Amino acid sequence: MARYGMVMDMRTCVGCQACMAACTAENQTPFWNGKFRTHVEDKAQGTFPDVRRVLLPRLCMHCENTPCLSACPTGATFMTEDGIVKVNYDRCIGCYACCIACPYDARYAYDREDVKKEEELYGKFTSHQQPHVDKCTFCDHRVSEGREPACVSTCPTNTRIFGDLDDPNSEVHKLATSGKAQALNQSLGTSPKVYYIPS
Amino acid sequence: MTFVHQEVWHWQIATYLFLGGLGGATFAISALIHLFEGCDRKMLSVAVMSSIGFLVLGTIFLLADMLQPLKAIYALTNPRSWIFWGVIFINFYFVSAIAYVIPLLEVWPKINPYIQKIPRGILDLLERFNKLAALTGSAAGFLVAIYTGLLISAAPAISFWNTPALPLLFVISGFSTGAAFLLLLSTFSKNEESWKIIAKLEELDAMLIVTELIILGAYFNFALFLPTGARESAQVLFHSPLFIIGFFIFGLIVPLALETYGIFFAKHTKKSGHLLVLASVMVLVGGYLLRYYVLKAGLFQFPW
Repeated sequence: MARYGMVMDMRTCVGCQACMAACTAENQTPFWNGKFRTHVEDKAQGTFPDVRRVLLPRLCMHCENTPCLSACPTGATFMTEDGIVKVNYDRCIGCYACCIACPYDARYAYDREDVKKEEELYGKFTSHQQPHVDKCTFCDHRVSEGREPACVSTCPTNTRIFGDLDDPNSEVHKLATSGKAQALNQSLGTSPKVYYIPS
Repeated sequence: MTFVHQEVWHWQIATYLFLGGLGGATFAISALIHLFEGCDRKMLSVAVMSSIGFLVLGTIFLLADMLQPLKAIYALTNPRSWIFWGVIFINFYFVSAIAYVIPLLEVWPKINPYIQKIPRGILDLLERFNKLAALTGSAAGFLVAIYTGLLISAAPAISFWNTPALPLLFVISGFSTGAAFLLLLSTFSKNEESWKIIAKLEELDAMLIVTELIILGAYFNFALFLPTGARESAQVLFHSPLFIIGFFIFGLIVPLALETYGIFFAKHTKKSGHLLVLASVMVLVGGYLLRYYVLKAGLFQFPW
């Protein structure tokens, strides 16, 4: 089994937000209400005159030790054999315990209003169909077909590198273990599978 | 590092947490008073029925806040989640409370005919094990009250909530609101004996408020220690007049002063009755404000 993960090379991100657009198109996320599975944080760092702009693309970290999975009372949140954290829409009651537990702001409510709008926009080709808490799936429907997640294949600057963290020949493994990349909020003990190479 | 206000749980959940603490504690204290003091069955039945009502209402608020309330039964799937245990505790509570209150309801002439429709064997069994139901019920009430704090403390990125002090604060505050509600109820009793219970409840509530103040001190001391989300949350609360005046002054300090006056100077006479009603109402409103503001002040501490 693979253990999928991602490395974000912050040195190359230009903040074009094509990843957000690709994800929205692929996964029908409610952009109409400003809800996305992936974001690009645009931050100013330092104090004048020593300031700089930092762009930090983020999504679900698919943690090994998942606070959201522990908080979910229904078992709707689960981890696949490939280490991808997913939500079973049929099982989710929308109690938001996972949204409170997630330290990476990776979850949002796909509410009744969003389901209605989804039907209006996508007709019979809707993928959500019922209210639930939504999050990134590493586009596992594409990955199972041998393709990359939508955000990765769209990124024009190759900021996002996706692959099997356990495969020693994969680029993602090499970068994640190079010492240059680090996970966010490591002190929490969540063991994220998304790593960052600082700019 | 970014601090972001949580926009997930609002007043509906604050109401649920308040009613959960109040309902759980009201029953637990009532049952304990029954066990240790004996009590007039009419008052006891009103208290227990009210506590069941609080919890039913609280559960309605919780369900109304969910995206898929009709699937709530699935919440009994993952024992690692506090909500799973909450469902267990609340059901344990309902079973104990109903089993406990049925024999007590026989004292009401209008309700008694309905109670008598229950097979005699079951009624005898409930009467025989009434004290056992009181004992298990008080445990269930305690668990429901502390669960309200455990639920929101399971938030690793909200450092103001993710502390062992929060469940303690909520359980003590819950028991204080429970004692205040019973105090309020007892002042309406025409039974002369009820003043003995009032005296006990008054002393209990004063002790609980003092304990709550100690926990609050420890809680804010922890929150202010480092420049984390917890400190930001504490600052939010310090700048919320309704939290300071409504909860801290009128929800804790003034009721404590009134109850202290009642205990030491008015000697539990009827003279202090109006002050007791006032103190109880203030404790109840303060208990709600505490939960509302603790939820409102929850700040995620994100690493970007």
